[in-house]
Amino acid sequence: MKHVHEQDEVTVRRIPATRFAAIGWLVLVLVIAAMAAWEWRMRTLGLRAGDLDDSKWHWAVERRRLESGDHDGVVIVGSSRILFDTDLDVWEEMTGRRPLQLALVGTNPRPVLLRLAEESSFSGLVVVGVTPDLYFMERFSYLPQYEEILDFWEQESPSERVGHRIGLFLSRHIAFLDEAYRLAPLIERIDIPDPVGVRRPYLEVWKLAETSADRQHRLWPRLETDLRLRDHARLVWGPFDGSGPAPETVTRAIAESRQAVETIRARGGEVVFIRAPSAGLYYENEQHFAPRARTWDRLLAETSAFGIHFEDYPEMRNLEVPEWSHLSRESATRFSRAYVEALERKMPWLRKDISTEPEQ
Amino acid sequence: MVFNSLTFLVFFAVVLLLHRLPIPWTAKKFNLLVASYIFYAAWNPPFVLLLWASTIVDWFIARGIYAARDKGRAHRRAWLLISLAANLGFLGFFKYGEFLLANWQALMASFGIDYVAPAWDIVLPVGISFYTFQTMSYTLDVYLGRSKPLKSFLDFSLFVTFFPQLVAGPIVRPGQLVPQFAAPKQATRDQMLWGLGLMVLGLFMKVVIADAGLANVADRVYGATDPVGFIDAWLGTLAFSGQIFCDFAGYSTIAVGAGLCLGFALPDNFRMPYAAIGFSDFWRRWHISLSTWLRDYLYIPLGGNRGNEARTYVNLMLTMLLGGLWHGANWTFVVWGGLHGLYLAVERWIREQTGVTGDPASGWSRLTLALVTYLLVNITWVFFRSDTFEVAGRVLAGMFGFAGEAKAVLPTIYIIKASVIVAGIVTVHWLMRKRELEDVVTRAPWWLTGFICAAMLIAVIIAQGSGEAFIYFQF
Repeated sequence: MKHVHEQDEVTVRRIPATRFAAIGWLVLVLVIAAMAAWEWRMRTLGLRAGDLDDSKWHWAVERRRLESGDHDGVVIVGSSRILFDTDLDVWEEMTGRRPLQLALVGTNPRPVLLRLAEESSFSGLVVVGVTPDLYFMERFSYLPQYEEILDFWEQESPSERVGHRIGLFLSRHIAFLDEAYRLAPLIERIDIPDPVGVRRPYLEVWKLAETSADRQHRLWPRLETDLRLRDHARLVWGPFDGSGPAPETVTRAIAESRQAVETIRARGGEVVFIRAPSAGLYYENEQHFAPRARTWDRLLAETSAFGIHFEDYPEMRNLEVPEWSHLSRESATRFSRAYVEALERKMPWLRKDISTEPEQ
Repeated sequence: MVFNSLTFLVFFAVVLLLHRLPIPWTAKKFNLLVASYIFYAAWNPPFVLLLWASTIVDWFIARGIYAARDKGRAHRRAWLLISLAANLGFLGFFKYGEFLLANWQALMASFGIDYVAPAWDIVLPVGISFYTFQTMSYTLDVYLGRSKPLKSFLDFSLFVTFFPQLVAGPIVRPGQLVPQFAAPKQATRDQMLWGLGLMVLGLFMKVVIADAGLANVADRVYGATDPVGFIDAWLGTLAFSGQIFCDFAGYSTIAVGAGLCLGFALPDNFRMPYAAIGFSDFWRRWHISLSTWLRDYLYIPLGGNRGNEARTYVNLMLTMLLGGLWHGANWTFVVWGGLHGLYLAVERWIREQTGVTGDPASGWSRLTLALVTYLLVNITWVFFRSDTFEVAGRVLAGMFGFAGEAKAVLPTIYIIKASVIVAGIVTVHWLMRKRELEDVVTRAPWWLTGFICAAMLIAVIIAQGSGEAFIYFQF
């Protein structure tokens, strides 16, 4: 690039002597052709337009709805399991309420729950998804992109808000706009030997879910049919590191939960905990890492909260968990129906035909 | 808003459209000014007030300085001090306040005084260092008698705020840009297409090379908590050298391209810096608009090389230390600047002792010296990239083979991509060392240029940048 100037002289830029119009047309044709081919290829891989991805931007939209009062009095917090395994349509059909979905993949929901209790005036029903290997840990997130999410919904810039809307519009029409199928993750999925002890990019989580409006997640259908993808996901969940949370960490987690429950109840709300199904080696790891008696049972006993553990309900057992951690679509719908029924039995005010406020 | 965002794509399309409407030139300039404020407010609307304050202060003070030209130096200096106090005051408050407070706290602690500073919690306005230096150059030029105050407040406001280079440079001087506002400017077809081509090149550098290619390699190495081995430490640092170049030069290239699409010429900010032979050559190629700013408004006013030898070295070192601090409120940046000052001083001393002024005649000698320069520059990047001296020490220990029981951190695919990309960057810099991109494009077959441009754009779209901010926004 040529500069023909000293710092006090007017800048002049040379333009190359070439056939710009021809170049412009060539670029246009090549880019359109390549993008059409790429879109076709991505669709053959199972991506589809209308799968909106998930991100802190989507979460921020829902979190702001909570603050503005644009909700039906039910909010879900948790990790990916309650996110994937909850069918918001079933909720709406059965209760007339569509929950705000604030669960986040790869995160510990406790900080979200605590902030909900302490920094909002929400007085409805909080459904807390408990994934034992996350809920009873100290750290908030395994995912760097979510580390600042607790503040992001307030700090999101006007530019980011507009960009999010444009991105949503494009995602509704273009399939290849998928976070999991960007150039970098595709390159890093090449399975080549790595030095011993290195955290392998190959073992990062690949695409697991499809997301539609209001953060309705469902297991990506290919996980139910493609054995390679399913086995990769199982490999990623793999054996857990370490020996599980220390007793004092569990105690602290439960104490914080109790504090949140009491705060929300004090203003007329209610909190329930839900333990969604897991299977296979993942389930065995959880049993070893955070046994029910040491975690879940204590959580319910010490918070005096109602809880639904999938093992306690016949209709929630034997559901299909293709990659051991998240239910298939069909099973997610059945699980949602089952746990909402259980909630309605415990809290009749949730039923559509009764429709009163929570018991105080 | 960031260049690598969908918001900017729409914004820029609207700005281009408005700029081509058959309306008076003053109205077009007003559009550009409003667009620039929107561009800046898109991060954080209240910070536009800072831009306004900076604009108004320097507009009136420059006039004050000029009006006092016959009233003696003290009078003009008083005006200048107000300007410096205002501009550096904003910069100090927003950028260095917390740093100063923390250091004061540490100083008190060393005397046994347990002083706990209140939480600062101030958000750094994006690009404040850039536009502060730009407005200061205007006032300083008037003070130094290099130019007269501008007559048009609209032109001056647009000079301060012109969105393509507002938040990360190039830092332009009034003389470079303001005269371009005088007469109607509209890009020709070729200017527009060349400008768009530069924007694609800049986006490719940022989105594909810096973000998708190199960022996570550097992040792995600099995020390690255990000792880092020789290869990992070097690759992480080399990857950062490529990342910081492609991130920052990518921004400047997009800025130049965006300006050109609107019919304006902005100066180059980079000229193949990793092909530099020696450090004075490096600073003629890296962040040119800052290095010339520091030369003209700091090094020369300090006395430059007009005093004795010792004074010249002191001036050089002071300039580079402050240049380091300009980048961020952290001692690691000061060390980065200090190392560059040391390199420049040593180079100057060697040249004085040997009497060698130009580059060596032999191609191999030039290549060897360029590689030595590049490797030494990489040592400085360790301090630039590290948040703390602990991290810098860990990486340097690895680079010099003192890591002891190091744990591998880089997976094979990271090693491959960092090696390939960095080798590519250094090779391109070397091959383009004395060439201009415009000449290369002129000589290349048009279809080859088209294929390369299309390939870059396709890579940008497939990489789907997630709108990562440019590194230099924080400075």
